[in-house]
Amino acid sequence: MHRWDFGPVWANAELLLLGLWHTLQVTGTALAFGVPLGLALALMRLSPRRAWRWPAGLVIEVFRTTPPLVQLFWFFFALPILIKVEMTPFVASALTFSIQSAAFFAEVFRGGIVSVERGQWEAARALGMDHRQTLRRVVLPQAVKRMLPAFLERAIELMKTTTLVATVSYADLLFQANEVAQKTFRPLEVFTVAALIYFVVIFGASQVAQVFERRLAVSGEGMQR
Amino acid sequence: MTYQWNFQPLLENADVLLQGAFGTLRLFAICAVAGLLLGLLVGLARSSPRRWLAWPARGFVEFFRNTPVLVQILWFFFALPILLPFEISPLAAAALGISLNSAAFTAEIVRGGIASIDRGQWEAARALGMSGAQAMRRIVLPQALRRMLPALTNRGIEIFKMTTLASAVAYVELLQQGKLLASLNFNPIETYTVIAAIFFLCLFPLVQATYALERRLGRGDH
Repeated sequence: MHRWDFGPVWANAELLLLGLWHTLQVTGTALAFGVPLGLALALMRLSPRRAWRWPAGLVIEVFRTTPPLVQLFWFFFALPILIKVEMTPFVASALTFSIQSAAFFAEVFRGGIVSVERGQWEAARALGMDHRQTLRRVVLPQAVKRMLPAFLERAIELMKTTTLVATVSYADLLFQANEVAQKTFRPLEVFTVAALIYFVVIFGASQVAQVFERRLAVSGEGMQR
Repeated sequence: MTYQWNFQPLLENADVLLQGAFGTLRLFAICAVAGLLLGLLVGLARSSPRRWLAWPARGFVEFFRNTPVLVQILWFFFALPILLPFEISPLAAAALGISLNSAAFTAEIVRGGIASIDRGQWEAARALGMSGAQAMRRIVLPQALRRMLPALTNRGIEIFKMTTLASAVAYVELLQQGKLLASLNFNPIETYTVIAAIFFLCLFPLVQATYALERRLGRGDH
């Protein structure tokens, strides 16, 4: 029988917490770039002009249909040679997950925008607004409310996906756990604790998301199913 | 100077990639079957009025949905063998992690599908003298499965993408073989581009099929 001993995990708690901080950092950076980029991609994809629609569609489809780990390897191992710029694991990770999450956020934005009734567009037109004004003043404010649940779900998915950065030696929680496990010869305890930390953070985040969702549902503004 | 693309070394090593593709397909087949079947069972348990069935199912779903799949794979590979008297192969660790993770997500799809069926269907089945299990099997589940189809194919696509995570425990699949070739031939650009292209070409038709399915069902009985 294995004798559980969490002593070595406690002794290295600081390393694990630093890892968690790095996980939050890469998630936050990817969100900060991914959300605006996703909105831009969505607007391009909904544009009446083909020259805008087509490239946005390509980026969205490529990043949604290839495995994130392959994307990360491409950005970390291939891109620096191609553009002759050195890339730290953090930069490569942040870049990959910004674009990748943008592709997913773009679909969330698009779904939200499309869900706004045609009548709203027509009414805004009738009041003399152009495409851009209609979008900014009438459609987006309504769409953003409806998108919130899907948006939060995507953000939580993103945090889970950032564990892949451990494979390019960015010191996130998973990477730190692996290091501590090797150092202490206590993989069972260390990986179990790491899994629990992830669970607490992600489960907590999804509970908060559900509260938001319920509030929207009560106020009758939730995305119609 | 622009980069000179050269795909020759990859063509010469096509057999290495082919071996990887075989590994990817094998892992995908195992996880798709195990994940979907287990997900169906857990989803049914989760929908059950019996608490001793519903609660453990809920715990399973919440745990596996709220931890990253890569953490699960590494846990099964590095941590689980300490509790067991035998080693866990990279294939077993990856298959366990991906299957259980997918089962949790599938269970939620199944639960949602069952919940979406009108109460009247249950009542009509009961009025005809069917037991709860019979009503589920003959009336509710067939209708629910139809509605779940797009979400389930989406799951399948996700599973296919997830198989690349097995490279983290050195299971021989496409990305793992790509890593090997890129370091042997010093050509990461061509190698990872080709790997990405292979996945894209395999999955893009599936994604389009899912969209088509969604549209067709959207027009259907809702």
